[in-house]
Amino acid sequence: MTDAATSTARPPGGSAVAARAAATLPAATAPPGAARPGRRWWARLRRDRTLLIMTLPALALLGVFGYAPMLGLVMAFQDYDLYDGILHSPWVGLANFQQLFTDPGFWQAFFNTLSLFSVQLILFFPVPIALAILLDSLLSRRLRSVVQAVATLPHFFSFVLVVTIFNEAFGGAGLLDTFLRSHGVTSPFDFMTDPGTFRLLVASQLIWKEGGWSTIVYLAALSAISPALYEAAAVDGAGYWRRLRHITLPGLKAITVLLLILNLGYALSFGFEQMLIQLPAVGSGAAQVITTFSYENGIVAGNYSYGAAAGLFLGITSVIFILGANKIAHLLGEDGLYRK
Amino acid sequence: MSRRGFLTATAGAAGAIAAQPLLAACGTGGAAVKAGAASASLLQRILPHYQASSLIKPDYASVAGSSPAYLTYPSTLVRTVAETPGSGGSYTAITPLWGTIPAAGNAFDQAVNKALGASVAVSPANGNNYSTILPQLFSGNKLPDWIQVPTFWAPPLNFGQAAADRLADLTPYLAGGKVSQYPNLAAIFSSGWQAGIWDDKLYGFPSYTATFNYGYQLYYRADLLDKLGIGTPAVKSMDDLWDLATEVNDPKGKRWAMGDIWGYLYQPFNYALWMLDDKGNLITQYESEGIIEAMNWLAKAIKAGLVHPDQVAGNYGNGVTEFYAGQMAIVSDGSGAWNAADAQKGQASNKGYTRASFDFFTASGSGTPKMPLEAATAWTSYLSKSLSGKQIEECLRLADYLAAPFGSVEYNLLNYGVEGVDYTTTAAGPQLTSAGTQYAGSAVSTYNFLVSPNNTVYNAGYPAVTKASASWAQRNAGYGYQPLFYELNVVVPNSLSSANAFTPFNPTSGITYEVARGRASIADYQSTLASWKRNGGNKLKAFYEGVLTQQKKLGSA
Repeated sequence: MTDAATSTARPPGGSAVAARAAATLPAATAPPGAARPGRRWWARLRRDRTLLIMTLPALALLGVFGYAPMLGLVMAFQDYDLYDGILHSPWVGLANFQQLFTDPGFWQAFFNTLSLFSVQLILFFPVPIALAILLDSLLSRRLRSVVQAVATLPHFFSFVLVVTIFNEAFGGAGLLDTFLRSHGVTSPFDFMTDPGTFRLLVASQLIWKEGGWSTIVYLAALSAISPALYEAAAVDGAGYWRRLRHITLPGLKAITVLLLILNLGYALSFGFEQMLIQLPAVGSGAAQVITTFSYENGIVAGNYSYGAAAGLFLGITSVIFILGANKIAHLLGEDGLYRK
Repeated sequence: MSRRGFLTATAGAAGAIAAQPLLAACGTGGAAVKAGAASASLLQRILPHYQASSLIKPDYASVAGSSPAYLTYPSTLVRTVAETPGSGGSYTAITPLWGTIPAAGNAFDQAVNKALGASVAVSPANGNNYSTILPQLFSGNKLPDWIQVPTFWAPPLNFGQAAADRLADLTPYLAGGKVSQYPNLAAIFSSGWQAGIWDDKLYGFPSYTATFNYGYQLYYRADLLDKLGIGTPAVKSMDDLWDLATEVNDPKGKRWAMGDIWGYLYQPFNYALWMLDDKGNLITQYESEGIIEAMNWLAKAIKAGLVHPDQVAGNYGNGVTEFYAGQMAIVSDGSGAWNAADAQKGQASNKGYTRASFDFFTASGSGTPKMPLEAATAWTSYLSKSLSGKQIEECLRLADYLAAPFGSVEYNLLNYGVEGVDYTTTAAGPQLTSAGTQYAGSAVSTYNFLVSPNNTVYNAGYPAVTKASASWAQRNAGYGYQPLFYELNVVVPNSLSSANAFTPFNPTSGITYEVARGRASIADYQSTLASWKRNGGNKLKAFYEGVLTQQKKLGSA
């Protein structure tokens, strides 16, 4: 599951999410009752066979790279040895988990993950929505595409580059601090190495890198809202804010809820690369997350069973998060991941 | 250029990554132990008998194990392998490379294969993640015929078992006097071969063997200090170093006194991974008083703003560039940082660039400085068990060719390529052409990592660098001492491997790193140490105590 989790662990608004969201959009606005209850399942199967065949390659991919590697998770219950493999390594029951749950380093990583994710969610999540609404209201197509291109570009930078750019600008020997030092500030604040402000740093890196890219999904949702609604509202005397509140935001609700749930699924596995690169700068007290913990103790130290145990814990918790959020969405009358 | 020099010049790109396991591996380099130690007499039987070969008299002779150094390149080269060594076999090999990976089957490779009389297809792999591809190669049984496995990356591979299961035992071919049919291999120091012994059998070929082998030394920019009117600094204690650092430090002018010199501090503060305390009890360096003082010193220096911010932030990647640019005056690095390539690159960015090194000193300034030696080599390569006896014999003949010493025709080909194509002969020695830089220059370590002769120092075109580094080595080699478990490949049981990784003390992310940066206190350090002891550390110590007792009994300690 670690494999599956990391391979799908892309920032919110990644391409899979975009594709998924685009696919659900028509359904969200289509009239209900398309699938009549009472039809027998094989009749539905026959009706949808073309569509089902089209999903087969994706299912095969998921099977090979998502599910098959999960077999390796049994090593979490073994004292895994490289040469004995998962078939012959001795079983140790829950010993790895016992060690894991008594390891203060693990709990620190767990709480860091939650706190970094929450701050990221609060600060980052609204940004693409706001940006999309802003872009959508631009009349000049040219200006709009320029802004969109500029905002989208950082998505294609790797985190190595993003962190380097931030370091060159805000690091202790970076532009800002060099400027301050040459103007009489003896020890300027080092934004890159302060564990206290690290959560804000992470969120701002993410906003810069992914803010523009994530608007794409919302822009698609916005374009699906009928202009007639706006016209009718305007005729009835609704101002900009009322139109925003009663037409735009409700139009974005379904996709927002969907992305929020998917985001929760990534909550525990988010930011591996970003954290690994910045771990030395702020220390493990602030930047150690479960994925880096698993990597450091599993891959680097060669203690594969322990790393797998941490990874399995992460996977199971993520599934609980996602199902819980989906349940809440259903209770609130939203579609969530799928229509009930 | 010395081959060792080249090695760390390229390894320098790996910076902290390559340096980091060195410390953790201090105690695990060397010959073999499962739950005990090999006796001196057994070692004597396994180790190939050393037969010195000296083609050319060095300008700087070896003193107390320092590497011999040459100021000029010999004009007449000697052939040491009379016949074409190979008999047409073809082999695959994997070695790490820090730098651009040259195209496979390039002209240089072809020339080497022709001379070898066999096809050795070496696929260099990115050195920066080499440690993570090794477990896959070993566990998946996808080993090439010949592979480089540095001893500091061996512990996660459970190497005692790996060797027995997957690697060819060379003992029947090379033990004792049998090595004499391969004169170039016989000329490698026994201490180098010792690194390739696992569970009382010889498996590995050594590369870059050097008796005076140590982790770090403290460098400074001699030209910079000259310019500041300081001249040649006399640093005899940590206080002297502090005074010098405060004098040089000028953050406003974008110049910091030093880099993160943590790697070096074990020398003046006198601790080694495994050591005896005042009462004669076995302790790890993490329990020593020296390491506490070292952390406090560095924490004070960081707090005083004497350390470059990038180094404080753990961005070591630009360290060398920042040293060249004069943003740092004092840095700690391995011996391989001091060579022609360094002088060339440094002078390209700063005309007067001169690297110099402080002699070893003690923290207090009194007493004789001490430097714990590392195993004579950490670079060992192995043959696959799947090779037949005939193939192994062919590989040994190839290895004999690859181990030809400085001043030989073979050495010249392996290090500089083909004359007129890869290099041209100048008054200053062989000079790589652009094709040579691309292929011979970047591929040189690929063959040297299979096996190479004892380390020698030669810097084409930069005799001043050789003079400075060789005389430094002659002055300081005498301070080296063999720490506990020196040259002993201790194979710890699986259950102790996690404690043996010393993960909480990782020098670039662990507790010592945090204390030095003021993010953790000495009390935090003590509690981390206590938790490491509880989680296997005490058992690990007991295990090593057992090894020590056994060593004493066998008379090999």
